[in-house]
Amino acid sequence: MAWAKPVLREIDCGMEINMYGPDS
Amino acid sequence: MIADGAIPIVPRGVRLHQDRARNRWVLLAPEKTIALDQIGYAILSEVDNRSEFGEIVSRLASKYEAPVEQIRPDVAGFINTLAARRILEVI
Repeated sequence: MAWAKPVLREIDCGMEINMYGPDS
Repeated sequence: MIADGAIPIVPRGVRLHQDRARNRWVLLAPEKTIALDQIGYAILSEVDNRSEFGEIVSRLASKYEAPVEQIRPDVAGFINTLAARRILEVI
């Protein structure tokens, strides 16, 4: 697998909020 | 940026958990759940509360056959984001 910017998503009340990553 | 000699620490009460239903790893912290992708899991797998940031970056660069210059800012940003939420500590 190639390196890519890691992704962090906070799960809050069933919703996922992007904390860090290519789209944050 | 994080100094090469800094050591990321997983604080008491925070742990990695495999969410088998969704086939992914999550970080469980008090009142917080953070979903990880494969790269995020690979980074946290290297955080053993002893390894310095520079060592972690070097190991990931070797594992992914990618230049340290590419990996370092991504890992620093990842760790800083978690540290800002007190899900990791850096000493």
